[in-house]
Amino acid sequence: MKTKIGVYICQCGGNISDYVDVEKVREAVKNEPGVALAKHMMFTCADSSQKEMIDDIKENNLDALVVASCSPKLHLYTFRNVAERAGINQYNYIQVNLREQCSWAHTDKPKDATLKGIGLVRAGIAKVRLSEALEKITISSYNVVTIIGAGVSGMRAAIELADMGTDVYLIEKDHFVGGRPTQMEELFQSKQTGKEITERLFTEIKKREKIKLFTGAELESLTGNIGNFHAKVKIKPRYIIPGYDKKKLKEAIEKCTDEVTDEFNFGLIKRKTIYKNYDKALPDIPVIDKDSFNPDDEFLETYKDCIDLNQKEKILNLKSGAILLCTGFDLYEPNKGEYGYENFENVITLHQLKRIIELNDNEKLIYNSKEIKRIVFIYCVGSRQTKGENKYCSRFCCTAAIHSSIIIKKEYKDIRCCHIYRDMRTYGKQEILYNEARDQKDMFFKFNEEEPPIIEKEGDNIIVKIKDVLLEGQEIELIPDLVVLVTGMIPRKDTPALANIVKAPIGLDKFFNEVHPKLRPVETVIDGVFIAGSCQGPKNITESINSSLAASAKIHSIISSGEIKLEPIIATINKDTCEWCGKCIEVCDYDAITKTEYNGKSIATVNIALCKGGGMCLPVCPVDAIEITGYSNSEIESMIDAINKEIKIESTEEVTPVDESEHKMKEMPEIWNKILESLKQEQKSISQIAEDTNLSSPVITYHIMTMVKYGYINPTEMDEMDEFYFYELKK
Amino acid sequence: MNISEYDALVLGAGVAGQEAALNLANMDYKVILVEKDKSIGGAMVQLSKVFPTLDCAACITTPKMSETVRHPNITVMTYSEVLEIERSGKNFNTSVLKHPRYVIEDACTGCQECESACPEIKDDEYNYGLAGRKVAYVPFTLANPRIASIERKDECAPCIATCPGGVKAYGYVSLVRGGLYEEAMNLHLEDIPLPGSLGRACYAPCEGECTRNETDGSVNIRRIKRFFSDYYYNKYPEPLTNSIENLSADRQDKSGKKVAIIGSGPSGLTAAYHLAKEGHTVKIFEADNELGGMLKSTIPSFRLPKDIVDRDIKNITSLGVEYELNNRIDKLGDLKSKGYDAIYVSVGTHETLKFNCSGKTLEGVLCCLTFLKNVNHGDKPDLTGKTVMVCGGGNVAMDSARTALRLNAKKVVVAYRRERDQMPAADIEIKEAEEEGVEFQFLKNPVEFIGENDQLTAVKCINMKLGEPDESGRRRPIPIEGSEHIVKTDIIIVSIGLLPSSSPFKDDLDLNKNGTIDVNPETLQTSEPYIFAGGDVVTGASSIIEAAGQGKRAAFFIDKYLNKEDLSEFEFDHRLPPASKEQVLARIENQKSIMPVIAYERTAKERIKDCNEIESTYTEEEALLSASRCLNCGNCRECHQCIEACPADAIDFNQREKELTLKVKSVILAPGFKLFPPENIFEYGYNKYKNVIHSMEMDRLLAPTRPFHDILRPLDVKKPDNIAYVLCVGSRNCSENNCVCSQICCMYSIKQGQLLMGALPLADITIYYIDIRAFGKGFEEFYQQGKAMGVEFVKGTIANITEKENGNLILRHENIETGDIDEAEHDLVVLSVGILPNSEMTSLFKNETLEVDEYNYIKQVDEMINPAKTSIEGVFVAGSASWPMDIPDSILSAGAASAESASYINKIKS
Repeated sequence: MKTKIGVYICQCGGNISDYVDVEKVREAVKNEPGVALAKHMMFTCADSSQKEMIDDIKENNLDALVVASCSPKLHLYTFRNVAERAGINQYNYIQVNLREQCSWAHTDKPKDATLKGIGLVRAGIAKVRLSEALEKITISSYNVVTIIGAGVSGMRAAIELADMGTDVYLIEKDHFVGGRPTQMEELFQSKQTGKEITERLFTEIKKREKIKLFTGAELESLTGNIGNFHAKVKIKPRYIIPGYDKKKLKEAIEKCTDEVTDEFNFGLIKRKTIYKNYDKALPDIPVIDKDSFNPDDEFLETYKDCIDLNQKEKILNLKSGAILLCTGFDLYEPNKGEYGYENFENVITLHQLKRIIELNDNEKLIYNSKEIKRIVFIYCVGSRQTKGENKYCSRFCCTAAIHSSIIIKKEYKDIRCCHIYRDMRTYGKQEILYNEARDQKDMFFKFNEEEPPIIEKEGDNIIVKIKDVLLEGQEIELIPDLVVLVTGMIPRKDTPALANIVKAPIGLDKFFNEVHPKLRPVETVIDGVFIAGSCQGPKNITESINSSLAASAKIHSIISSGEIKLEPIIATINKDTCEWCGKCIEVCDYDAITKTEYNGKSIATVNIALCKGGGMCLPVCPVDAIEITGYSNSEIESMIDAINKEIKIESTEEVTPVDESEHKMKEMPEIWNKILESLKQEQKSISQIAEDTNLSSPVITYHIMTMVKYGYINPTEMDEMDEFYFYELKK
Repeated sequence: MNISEYDALVLGAGVAGQEAALNLANMDYKVILVEKDKSIGGAMVQLSKVFPTLDCAACITTPKMSETVRHPNITVMTYSEVLEIERSGKNFNTSVLKHPRYVIEDACTGCQECESACPEIKDDEYNYGLAGRKVAYVPFTLANPRIASIERKDECAPCIATCPGGVKAYGYVSLVRGGLYEEAMNLHLEDIPLPGSLGRACYAPCEGECTRNETDGSVNIRRIKRFFSDYYYNKYPEPLTNSIENLSADRQDKSGKKVAIIGSGPSGLTAAYHLAKEGHTVKIFEADNELGGMLKSTIPSFRLPKDIVDRDIKNITSLGVEYELNNRIDKLGDLKSKGYDAIYVSVGTHETLKFNCSGKTLEGVLCCLTFLKNVNHGDKPDLTGKTVMVCGGGNVAMDSARTALRLNAKKVVVAYRRERDQMPAADIEIKEAEEEGVEFQFLKNPVEFIGENDQLTAVKCINMKLGEPDESGRRRPIPIEGSEHIVKTDIIIVSIGLLPSSSPFKDDLDLNKNGTIDVNPETLQTSEPYIFAGGDVVTGASSIIEAAGQGKRAAFFIDKYLNKEDLSEFEFDHRLPPASKEQVLARIENQKSIMPVIAYERTAKERIKDCNEIESTYTEEEALLSASRCLNCGNCRECHQCIEACPADAIDFNQREKELTLKVKSVILAPGFKLFPPENIFEYGYNKYKNVIHSMEMDRLLAPTRPFHDILRPLDVKKPDNIAYVLCVGSRNCSENNCVCSQICCMYSIKQGQLLMGALPLADITIYYIDIRAFGKGFEEFYQQGKAMGVEFVKGTIANITEKENGNLILRHENIETGDIDEAEHDLVVLSVGILPNSEMTSLFKNETLEVDEYNYIKQVDEMINPAKTSIEGVFVAGSASWPMDIPDSILSAGAASAESASYINKIKS
């Protein structure tokens, strides 16, 4: 039992102390059993405060620590570290959440907040008294990472990890690498095409022995835990025999007559059933679309050196220390009828437009055998829906549309582009493209979501009717040859299934979710499972690469040493009392419990690497055989007792302000003397002081605020109009 | 110079720099993180909350800051600047300049006692100058490392810069202004123990440099000194045991070293004082029958009363300094054999130049020093009815002439061989002598003393003209042949020059041609290492303050010598350059004139009747008024209140900037952004209208560590209830040369709008925008949430802003949605300023070019695949130096920079 506990109550710069009377809390807990010292501080997290705690601990030989501040989510590790540096075991430290669970929740009832605060701190003290010293669980780790998705993010991460010294399994579901950028041709902010970038990355990957690339490979299941994941990967066959004769296969492709819709070109054209996504698609081996491939026997016989339809699916078992998800995104597919999509053949998506430009080999832009002279872009299709499902902005589409319009203008001088947008989000340097589009005389019409453009057909013409905000809502009619719906990114269709396999959480926008966008932007709540690129949310290529490199650095720093330290707060099974009923295994979110044999009976065992100390198993156990380390029954019971203990404080609704300032200044600036003189008799407002001292109100404001900071003056009440404060000398 | 090796240099410790450093450190690379500010944290630590999660910025960033500073693989250098980066083989050689905080970093605990005590207020940069902070300060509550600084802006007041004795005039003037007379005295005693004498007889070069000279006349610094020293001496006729004089008494004899001081003038006394304070045993040997040298023997009591000198001397003797009077030391070696470890020779200039002409032995031909000394010792000749000629133009000549007047001489003539402008005497002395009736005859020199019965009756003089300048820079006087003439004179006092009394030491020490002792001018060490010499015997006849300054210098180096240190490693009394007078004057424009305060002075007629003082001490009112005329030239007052307050003895005004050389394998540039200066858009009236603030200022107002105690507008601290945001201030603005979109302003404005709705529930918030760019994860949802909370969004650019009498502002704009020209009234306007690239480091690289793009951001040469790569191999960029970025993007970009840098380091290591 701990007998010398240090208790620190944080004011959180007013976040706590404005509502919870921290001095009263201190008073109420300082004589609790085991407490040797109790203090409150402006910011317990500040470095100086940390130093002070360490000095206190060392000086007074404290054996446990309680910090009552914010959520442990923010500072648990900060103060564990403090404890450790001062020589106390990390687990003899308890963080009491006095902010999120008390002051912020009860801003309207300061007295009650104080009472609750006292209870919470007492509970923390009670728990820490019974706390045990624990050591981290150390597990070994493979210095290998499995990357799911060989788009630009996945490929780039693979290269970086290999260069840092980590082995990589790179798994791509498609038969070709590169992902979405290969469909996008020239990319904005660069003169490169997605295909060129893919080729560069692929060449680099081939140079590195540390990277094993599998295409046509799909993650079937994932077991294990950080340091030691087991991925089961299914490899689909290409039906092409390795070392095939290129010339001969080319001939076969030419002869092949089966054709299917070309998904790579968004159904604009058909492709053969022996195919590559595009001419230079990588790896440079065609694939046979077996389901639609109906060759005659002669064909098969002729090309038997190249084609083998008997190739079987393979299952790979890959072991790695971490998983990186780089699965990218899908493109929003407008509903039938949405802005005339699928109703009118000249309504297409931006991505189809890009393919049309790419596939067009005429001097003029031809679509459906008609020359295109006027294009209307309609923005935010499937994005920023207040009523629909996709609340979010897709981030890249404004720039992508603008960029397409610039490309079109360069290629086909006579085409005029109109943009019907909501807010033009060409952020950062992309703004220059917007300027360029305006300079090339593109026209811009702004609409409100409530009054979207209407697409109608009159005879052969498509008519777009808009209420243009920029013209006070006047209705304007445009008659374009092509309506381009600027669609955004949506989570991949297989995201839920994949999420189910890797247990990574999905956010409200249905993309994979990070732990914290600023603190841990590439990590998920599942240790060892990382996310990068646009599977986490819409991103352009540079942004995706940034995140995949950031994830590489993070992964490497965790697994490269071959050892990982884990939290020891996990479930333990009392082997003697456990009567194996299997209830615990049902409720465990982490698949951390398995059945084993012990002394001739079946019992539950906990996988220490998987258990997160979630505690779901505890209440369902009919024989009370499970306990969570650090949350034993006696600890919890003592906390409840401490909360229920009677609290005696003076009844007051007022919170006494914390005053730590002390007047040390022997000499005052002249203006301060004047202000102090002016306030000697009575409280005054700034304008009254200004009048008194013959100085301007900004000067008085500046100095009054400085004097408030240094503790010479207090603001008091406000005037009747609730506009101006009065100030008084600090007593 | 130290050379240290690191794997990576990270330049800039904002959120991107910290993230990059931590990533590398976690991969076990050694990182040096250099930050130009006094704390790490960058812009993020100034923010209130962050979008779109509304986390408290401090809560997110302080753990990261702590982790960075504490990480065993990271060395953090704050308040430091990278000067140059040059490739050398596989590495880069980097020189880093560490600015002085004037606080010993390892000793400071961040307790802020110095800040409490500091009396000077300056704009608080952390709060964008909305309120003030002290000159001694911890940058902000959450600063890390939390170390105080004395912000001297690397300049000092001209009065301090000029004082030969290093006395802090601005410091004590400001202390007097605050009524802190004893503190003023203690400050003076840090440098020179003779404030009483200096308050009366110093020629006050400080006043000559005083900035106020440029307007209505110098601050009367000497008289202020006289005031506080008289105040103090009246209060404490004997030195206080707890005063600074005795503070170090417990160090007496601690060193076990003995020092002999030869001569007890201002130089010897000051040296003895400082050496005794250092704990050495000091003994003064004085040839005369009293201590004080010229202070006692030569300066007349109407200029310097002897009781004042005696009280000054007590400051020294109370430290236990011993002395022997009437003991002229001729053989320095004897002292060594008596166990003295060091000797300071400060015997002054007690020999005089003599005319080599006939009649010099006549009665009535007097030596100035003998004359003045006799009078000072009470042996006053009666000169009633006599005509006296004083020959010479220095201070001693003036003293002689004025003393002669007081001895009832009928007529006193000063004959000087040059013209008035060339007279070495202090101006005030000449002026006072003139007032008292001394007659001046210039360009005249005696050539023969004529007498009868051994008694002088006349002097034959010759007229002079001025020729070419001599070595002293003054024009050489040339006798005009045939201009000889006879002047009837009863007494001639010869005062044509004082000579060093160095002759007894000519066998022991090297002497210069002019008889002064040859010393190392920096250390004052003579040709004999244990013997130091200073004061007039080294410089030739000078002044009290110069001699005392030499004593202080000698003591400093003698102490080092006694501690067996290499003297060449020390620099004595480093001073900062004087503040620019133009800038000081610009600051005080429109200040009303206050004429110098003249203390009561007896009239010339009155004062020549006796040998009493001619000027009186300031009254307290006069002293306060006079001190209040000080223009506060320096940034720091150098009043040393911080030194007194610091419980850790951590303040060190002698710190200097330090240059370090580092060897690093790779460089990550994370300098962050610069804020667009809103005053550039004249139409918005920033700076002109106090209620037009910029968005970072609003973020400060919203933060828990805010400058005001509530959300208040800066003009009159009214609680605003109708706040306008003007977006795209300085971004998307080609006429301001910043065509790009700053990417963060829409979002932070929406954030502030939401926070204001919480802080001021009754207030209306209107955001004037062109496009709302809510493009990141959760941003659009955040925008919609702002709308739902009631923030009003108006599409329209603000044309101009004007101020109404009540401080409210009129925003003229076209409301795009209605097509009307509107004039909206708001009581507070926030300019959502954009950001500008910070590419200052482009010039750091020697022999290699760090390319920037057309918008001046650091160029990402392979943006699609290696986004952190710059035009220089091994140099990477992180955060908003390459592209405007919010915090999540900066963190990811820093992640990329650390990964690319790690691979690069691996490559060159292998």
